[in-house]
This record gives sequence, C-alpha cells and structure tokens, in this order.
Amino acid sequence: MITVENLTHAFGETTAVDDVSLTIDDGEWVVLAGPNGSGKTTLVRHFNALLEPDSGTVRVNGTSAADHPVAARTSVGMVFQSPRDGFVGATVGADVAFGPENLGLDHDEIDRRVADALAAVNLAGRRDERIDSLSGGEQARVAIAGALAMEPDHLVLDEPFTGLDWPAQQSLLDRLDDRYAAGMSIVVVTHDLRDLLGRADRVIGMQAGRVRFDCPPEAARERLAEIGVRVPTPDSA
Amino acid sequence: MLTYTPGDTVVHRLDPRTKLGFQFAFALVAFSAATLPQLAGVFGVGLTALYLAGSSLRAVLRAYWFVLAVLALGPLLAGLTVGSPWFRVDPAVVSVRSVVRIVPILFVSVAYVTATPIRETRAAIQHTIPGRAGRLFGVGVALTFRYVPVMRADLRRVVDAIAARGGDTRSIGERAKLIVTLTLVRAFRRSDQLAIALQARCFAWNPTLPRLRFGRRDVPVWMLSAGFVAVAIVDLLGV
Repeated sequence: MITVENLTHAFGETTAVDDVSLTIDDGEWVVLAGPNGSGKTTLVRHFNALLEPDSGTVRVNGTSAADHPVAARTSVGMVFQSPRDGFVGATVGADVAFGPENLGLDHDEIDRRVADALAAVNLAGRRDERIDSLSGGEQARVAIAGALAMEPDHLVLDEPFTGLDWPAQQSLLDRLDDRYAAGMSIVVVTHDLRDLLGRADRVIGMQAGRVRFDCPPEAARERLAEIGVRVPTPDSA
Repeated sequence: MLTYTPGDTVVHRLDPRTKLGFQFAFALVAFSAATLPQLAGVFGVGLTALYLAGSSLRAVLRAYWFVLAVLALGPLLAGLTVGSPWFRVDPAVVSVRSVVRIVPILFVSVAYVTATPIRETRAAIQHTIPGRAGRLFGVGVALTFRYVPVMRADLRRVVDAIAARGGDTRSIGERAKLIVTLTLVRAFRRSDQLAIALQARCFAWNPTLPRLRFGRRDVPVWMLSAGFVAVAIVDLLGV
C-alpha cells in the first residue's frame, strides 16, 4: 500500500503538490488524471523517493520512502514519460538487467527476472536486440520490463501512451491488464483517459497541485471537465 | 557513429579484457612502426580486426569521415609555410607517418566498440582496476559509450531543426551560437533525466557485473598482444 499524508512539494515559488493525502491499495488500478502542470508527475515521483517532500510523508508498505529509498524503489516500479531517456543499456537484455544488477542479485536470479519481465511484456527472445532498433511501442514495453524486473508491488506509469499509435497502446494496455490480474497495483498518470476509465478502480483528479476528487470512474466522468480534462466518450472509455 | 551491435563473431566471443589488452598492445606497436612494411602490417591487422568483428571499412568511413578528414588536414598544415616555398614536403611526410598510425588504431577501436556490450566493458574495467577508482572509471566509460551516440543524435536534430526553418540563411557565428546553446541545454536535460532514471532503478556503484570468463580462444590473442608489446619495446629501445 502507498500512503501519502499531507504531502507538499514546491519548486521555488511554485507549489507543485499542495497538502495532498491519498492511499493506493494493493492490487488496485488507479488513474491519476489532471491537466499539464497539475502536479501529477511530482506526486508520483515521491512514491519511489525521487524527490524529498517539503512537508508530509509518503509510506510504501508502511515504510517511509524518504528514509528508505531503496525499499521504496524496489516496491514501486516507475516508468517515465519518455522511456528512451532512461535507457541505460544498449540492448533489451542489458537494460532490463540493470535494476536487478544494482540490487546485487546473483546471475541466475538476474537471468530469471529478465526472462520473466520480458515474457510479461511479450518480448521474450528479444533480449539481444538493440533498443534503438525497436518501435516506440516496443521501447515502452522494454521500459515496463525494466521496472517489472525489480519485482515491484506497484507499477507507476507516467503518461505511458504519449507518442504511441493505437495498436501499440492496446498492446501496452493488454500487458498492464495481465499485471493487474496477477495482483499488482497499477497507477497510470495521464491527461487522456481513453481506454482507461473502463479499467480503473478509482480515478484521482488533480488540479493546481491539489486533489479535486477521488472517486470511482463513473462518478469521475462527471467531474473530469471541471479540472480541464477531456471526458472520453463511452465507446472509448 | 558506430555502437555495439549484437552478434556472434570471433571478436564478440572474446573476453573483453582480452580485447582491451589487445587494443593497448596494438596502439603501442602502431606508434612504434616506422618503416613502410611495418605500417602496412599494422594496417593489415587493423582491417583484419574490423573484418573479424563483422564491421567494414565502408561503415568506418561513413561513421568517422570527419575524423579522417581532420587527420588528413594534419600533413597539409604541417607542410605549409608562411612564405616561399609555401609548402615543404619533409614535415608533411613526417605528419603523414604519424597520421597513418592513428587510422588502424581507429579500426581496432571500432572493432572493439561494435563487438563489446557496454556492461562488459564496465565489468572488464572494474575487474582490472580494483577499488573505487575502477568503479568510477567503469561507470564513466559505460555512461560515455552509452550517451555519446545519443548526444550526437541530439546535435543532428538541433542542426536539422535550425535548417528546417531557414536558419541556414543566418551567419555562421549566429548558427554556431544557437547550436552550442541548444545542444548544451539538451545535454543538461538528458543528464537530469538520466540521473532520475538511475535513481529510480536503484543505481549502485558496485552492482552484480556480467560474468567474464577467459576461454581458449583468448589465448592466441593474448599471445599476439604479448608479441606486439615485445616488438614495440624492441623498437623503442632500438635493439
């Protein structure tokens, strides 16, 4: 479980996250929606201690993320908005292995995790391919595999569909459905809720650094417009 | 720019420490080569290394034409004189001899880069240089190998973006200023994003490194490297 209590984070004069409290339960699919600059990315970066709070706390499975960043980062897998900026390895296998290697695991365990993570995103057998030879959708899946190889309890994806065509988006969603069915909690940060409302257990709407609503998708549909997020048509939700 | 290409060539299968040792020995022998047959031999070894790594002379020329062009300028500049006779052959020939040695070293380096995964290079360095220095050097080399091609692609995009909106009508000075500024901004942004990505994946100075194992196929390469070092020493001492 991820628990956020009275979290505030400012960049200079701009308060990006303003006294936010919320929880993400185990095995839950949560959509964090809001317009650009609403504080979504800043908020989730606290989930695995990439930022230090100005005030408030973030606990992951009961442990303070700020005090135990490695524990938070192994429990919360993070996939960034532009995955290609975060690739460390030149090949698929090298990049996915990067996290488990940092944990000091033995080679057999690293191999197992890489194989499992690649299988989970339908890239089994492609570990020796160069990442820059892959399509955008495949690169997004490599980034997810990199997070899954840490065997996290929660997977956070920041605008994962940006720049992906529809088939690549569907493929990515299918992979997320599999992880969700396996009991992992999924947090998707987005301003575009097409194909997500039907999947989410809960939608958290943010605007100007604050949580404006936190409710089931049906109720959220009525409130998306008030935070400046396009309401998906029933067919696309 | 040439980067690691997965494959199963002889060079791919060598232990990275063997390849690093060979590069070092080859550079020594290349710089000690003085006669035409020696230089031809050094060139031959460089081209063979390229071939064995599954790369080609054409790929090197395409990727490093600017390096070769700069090298070619060396003898020209060396031969130029301020007054009459305007060009002297002797210093140009001396410069040609130096430049000619660098080209096969470039071939061997390309063979290494295209046939060695970055993490294996890091592992080889950390195995060879113990302690904090090895870790720092290993990480530095790994990040450089990984990000130089990315930075070059960024530079290309900046140049294209400027040209796409008629920027090439501006003066060279203005364009240079724009290119340098924008490339630096991108470089800093990339560093930032990389730092965050490393943190998110629990970056460690001393992670589990890939297994490295010497095999039988490394033996002849080590012997050749030892031979190169011996030849270089003999040449340098003038025995």
